[in-house]
Amino acid sequence: MNDPAPPKVRRLSELPREVLPPHDGWPALEARLRESGRPQADAGAPSGGTTLPIRRRRPHLMHFAALAAVLAAVAVGVSIDRWMLSPAQPAPPVAASPHGGGGEGMAVAYVSDPRYVHAREELLRSLDARLAKLPPPTRKKVLQSLATIHQSMQQIQQALGREPGNALLQELLIDTYQNEMQVLSTVQEASGGAGET
Amino acid sequence: MVPAAQSDWIEWEAGLVQRARGGDVRAFERLYRDHIGGVYGLCLRMTRDPAAAEDCAQEAFFNAWRALERFETRSSFGTWLHRIAVNVVLNRRRKRAAQVELPPLMTDPDEESGGLPEEWTLDTPVEVHEIETAVGDLPEGARDALVLCGIYGYSHGEASQMLGIAEGTCKAQLHRARALLRAKLEPGSQSL
Repeated sequence: MNDPAPPKVRRLSELPREVLPPHDGWPALEARLRESGRPQADAGAPSGGTTLPIRRRRPHLMHFAALAAVLAAVAVGVSIDRWMLSPAQPAPPVAASPHGGGGEGMAVAYVSDPRYVHAREELLRSLDARLAKLPPPTRKKVLQSLATIHQSMQQIQQALGREPGNALLQELLIDTYQNEMQVLSTVQEASGGAGET
Repeated sequence: MVPAAQSDWIEWEAGLVQRARGGDVRAFERLYRDHIGGVYGLCLRMTRDPAAAEDCAQEAFFNAWRALERFETRSSFGTWLHRIAVNVVLNRRRKRAAQVELPPLMTDPDEESGGLPEEWTLDTPVEVHEIETAVGDLPEGARDALVLCGIYGYSHGEASQMLGIAEGTCKAQLHRARALLRAKLEPGSQSL
């Protein structure tokens, strides 16, 4: 028979697991991370991400694979953005971003750049024709991804309406526009390049 | 952590890890801010020294950044970080042990705080502080097992892996820790 633990000993599991350090260690850590560069691929064992040769005579397969990868990456990115906008989440940090110092004008400047606007319009104009060339399952995924991206853009813009100075939201909005551009560009490549419409 | 559904949380973290693997420091910052409390708390309880705990937590996150490629997104990022943090603390102990003779593990009973910061005391200050101090006074091996199993909720198997000891040793250390705590916190209950 187990003896019942006295109340104080039993209360161990109630002790706070999270204890905030007295100083914000992020700035120093960030400096070290930037100095060290990107996370290292495992130096010892390959992680399975090795690049395999792809036969040139079947470029459409390569493009569809690339498109699938882009859609997967976009799905992950957008899910992050949408999660962050959930009202249950704590507000993203505003001041901690040295790269987000552009403030509220950063995203606006990006999306109103004439080169970007022109490229995006071109890609959107030819999207239907290009989608028609893709296999139906791929087409469905592209349309779903674009719908999610556009919904995400709307939500981020609404959140920015409430917090116009939030640097992380600015970055997320730019990321989302970049995701859209990535999908549109990859659709263009997968459907036969720029000159075929 | 966050009041989101577990699956949403895992998906969210996996997305952040993916971004961080690509060099996105902002994504890693988010991971850092979500987990620094747990990692620092663990290091603080293992080292009993706020400055050392800060160093260990920083080192743990730096090591995690460098090893992100090896993290499997199916598992818990927090648990992975804790493993790294425990490893950093143990390495630090080994290095210190190689350099100097460690001071006695049991502290003077008059030294109430044992180097723990006052802000540890939360909603039940006196009792929490008393328990934390008693935990801090435990011998290292017993304390490590108690912190991981009793406070952070890891199983004997997980804790023994983190500490690099046999599961039986971990159980024995935990039993010893509980007995010492009981003696300290509830001296009248020894006969129960």
